[in-house]
Amino acid sequence: MEGKIDGALINPFMIVHPFEVLVAANKAVHLHRIGKMKTRRMYSEIIYNLSPTNNISDAFKRFGTSDSDTAVLIVLVHPTDETRHMTEVMAKVDGQQIPVEDVSKMVDTAQIKKLYRTTPQEDSCLLDAVVCRMAVKDVI
Amino acid sequence: MAVDGRSVAVQQFLKKTELIKQGAEARVYRGIFLGKPTILKERFPKLYRHPLLDEKLTHRRTVQEVRALLRCRKAGISAPAVYFVDYTCHCIFLEDIVGSVTVRDYITSIQLSPQKSQEERLDHLAKKMGLVLAKMHEEDVIHGDLTTSNMLLKVGGDTEEADLFLIDFGLSYISALPEDKGVDMYVLEKAFLSTHPNTEALFEKLLKAYTASYRKSHSVINKLNEVRLRGRKRSMVG
Repeated sequence: MEGKIDGALINPFMIVHPFEVLVAANKAVHLHRIGKMKTRRMYSEIIYNLSPTNNISDAFKRFGTSDSDTAVLIVLVHPTDETRHMTEVMAKVDGQQIPVEDVSKMVDTAQIKKLYRTTPQEDSCLLDAVVCRMAVKDVI
Repeated sequence: MAVDGRSVAVQQFLKKTELIKQGAEARVYRGIFLGKPTILKERFPKLYRHPLLDEKLTHRRTVQEVRALLRCRKAGISAPAVYFVDYTCHCIFLEDIVGSVTVRDYITSIQLSPQKSQEERLDHLAKKMGLVLAKMHEEDVIHGDLTTSNMLLKVGGDTEEADLFLIDFGLSYISALPEDKGVDMYVLEKAFLSTHPNTEALFEKLLKAYTASYRKSHSVINKLNEVRLRGRKRSMVG
């Protein structure tokens, strides 16, 4: 990894639904504004926020990308009307682009259930179970 | 952070929302958050309290509320999902239970409907309430403010069976004491009977369902009888 892409590189197999990423990004922006981020950069904070635990390196390991990964979800935070950076990043990616909604099709459900320790009662809506744990993790 | 103390997320949210309820403790808004129908519960500062005390109490209640929500959801009790918590302005962003009615309104509407099916529907509801509360106490969650307004009924899309949601965990805490569970049921009994007059028999059915499905209900019911005689505050004399 050379650090040439300024954005959050996420392992898409660990994402149940794009909403989850929006929640993580929203929280990162919020904590960035009030100066209470747990990690150093906003993009690392997004990855950290996805994790159910407060262990930073663990979060990077599970939700970040590694060399062997075959897919990546790139998250950028930018002002609504400023999309130049996005085109730049897209130019750097050598691969097939898919609509963000299709991320849900790649999810490794078994792994998600194990990592977030969801109960069988929560199976009816895994996304809610995951988002809840993300939102509440700093007071558990 | 914005000048008035509210975060940007909250401000953007408030632009497109409607205030649906204002209580002594918080204001509740309805709107869209990151594309989802959302309820925003804002615990505003209480100027009548010392700022330090106010901050502490408000913070603790916010934390207690989200903790209890997660604990209930883990146990399979229907409760709104938490999307985001802003601890600077004590705002909780919750899932909006779209298409739900409060149990309070539901009971009132049944009572206005033709006599025939009334009893059967009310019995069914009381039983369901008993079961959910039993499950909640099984997890040692004390709701702290059980009323028929703090329960929502959502009629499922594909099934006939309505889902019973518990909401407003602001006064909740974790306790295994039969005393606390007894007081919880006592609070509900008081609220239930005063909101819905002449429903003593119905509440008995609720208690029956509660007793039948909760292993340790015996000691709770004993405490409930005790609390009925003395009120929910324990005498601190002596």
